[in-house]
Amino acid sequence: MAATKISDISWHHDFPPFFTLQPNLDTRRKQLDAWCSLVLDYCRLKKVCTFDVNDASKFPPFFNAKINRQLDNNFIQVLLEELRSRGNIEWEDKHKRRCLVLWKSPEEWAKTIYQWITAHGMNGTVCTFYELLHGDDTRSAEFHNIDPHLFRRVLMELEKRGQATVFSDNGADGVKFS
Amino acid sequence: MRRGVGIGGINQQLLEKAKFSEKGSELARDHLEKLAKQFETFRDNLEKFAEKHRNEIKKDLKFRQQFQDMCATVGVDPLASSKGFWSQVLGVGDFYYELAVQIVEVCVATSAQNGGLISLDELLLRVRKARGKSKSAQDVSTDDILRAIKKLRALGDGFAVIEPTNGQGRILIQCIPGELSMDHTAILNSLQTRSSFTKEQLRDQLKWSDERIEAAIDFMVKEGLVWIDNNGRYTEYYFPGLFTAQRVTNGESV
Repeated sequence: MAATKISDISWHHDFPPFFTLQPNLDTRRKQLDAWCSLVLDYCRLKKVCTFDVNDASKFPPFFNAKINRQLDNNFIQVLLEELRSRGNIEWEDKHKRRCLVLWKSPEEWAKTIYQWITAHGMNGTVCTFYELLHGDDTRSAEFHNIDPHLFRRVLMELEKRGQATVFSDNGADGVKFS
Repeated sequence: MRRGVGIGGINQQLLEKAKFSEKGSELARDHLEKLAKQFETFRDNLEKFAEKHRNEIKKDLKFRQQFQDMCATVGVDPLASSKGFWSQVLGVGDFYYELAVQIVEVCVATSAQNGGLISLDELLLRVRKARGKSKSAQDVSTDDILRAIKKLRALGDGFAVIEPTNGQGRILIQCIPGELSMDHTAILNSLQTRSSFTKEQLRDQLKWSDERIEAAIDFMVKEGLVWIDNNGRYTEYYFPGLFTAQRVTNGESV
C-alpha cells in the first residue's frame, strides 16, 4: 500500500494541541471524537486489527515527527478507555496490554465472512484457519490476512449463532460453516 | 465710471451684493435640480439596465460586483429591502438570501471544530463546496460573502466580520452568539497570519498585565475558541479555525 500521510486522514494530526489532553470538557469531547475516528480510519486503511500498549510509542498515529508531538501514556490510557466504551476495542488480557481493534464490529465481521462462505458454496466444508486467512482463494476477501486473534473472536460470534463449528486437529485450527 | 462714494454709493454696493447672492443661490438651485434630474434619469436607466441584465447579475461574478459598485455610487442598495423594486422585480436579493443560508449552514457545521471562528477564505471554499459544481454555482466571491453577511447582521449579533486593523492578515468571520470583547479581538489582530500565541507574545506585543492576559485566555478556553498545546517549549494557545485557514491557503486538506 502506498504510504498514506496520516494528516490526509485528519488535519488534526498536524495540529499541535491535538496531542495535549484539553482541559475544557466540551473541547476534550471533540478532541476524543477526532482521535477515535483517526485511529479507526488508520487501522481500517492499514488493516491493523490488534494493538499492544507496549508498542504504543511506535504506533504511527500516536506521534508526528513533523511537529515534534506525541501522546503521553496518560493520554493513551484515556483514549483507549474511550475506544473501549464505544465498543471499538476489546481487551484480550486482564492487564489491559493487548487489545483487538474493531473498526468493524464482531457482528459485522461475522456477517461479512458468512456471506463470503455462502457466496463461494463452502458451507459444510472443513477449512483451516490458514487457508481462509492466507490462502489464494480469499485474496480478494475483506478478511484476508486479518489477525488470527480477531478471526477467532469473529468465529466465536458465528458459533454463537450456530453458523460455524471451530475445532482443533493436531494443532491446526479448522472451522466448518453450516 | 463714477465711483460710488458716500451713503448713496454704499447703499448701491449693498444692493449689488444682495443681487449677486440672490443670483448665486438661484444658480445653485438650478444646478441642484439638474443634478437631481440627472440622478433620476440615471436611476431609471440603472433599473432598466438591471432588468435587462438580470441573469448576468445573478450568474456572473465580475458583472455582479461592477453592478454593485455602480449602485453604491448613486446611493442605491439593491438589497436594501425585501419588498423593494429590486428584489421583487429582479430577484437580485434572492442570490444573497440563498448565499446567506449557505453561510449559516457552513458556520453551524464547522463551529464544533473551530469554536465559531472561520477565515473568509475557508468559508468561501466550504460554501462553494456546498453549492454544487456548476459554473454559475461556483461563481461566488469573497465580496458576495461579505455582502450576504451584512444582510445576516440584520438578524442580530450572531455574525461579525473581524478585519485586521493594519490591513495585514486575514479577514475572519465570527459566528458565536454574543460578542467578543475588545481584548479578544485585539489578540486575534495581533496574530496576523499566525494561528497561535503564547502569554509571552501578548505581554510583549500588547503590554498587558498578567491578570488581563489570564482573563482573556480563560474566557477563550472556556468558550472552546482556543486549544492548549502543552508539549512545546512554551504553552501555546491555538485557534483551530485559523489553523485550518492556513491549511486552506497552503492548499492542504481540511
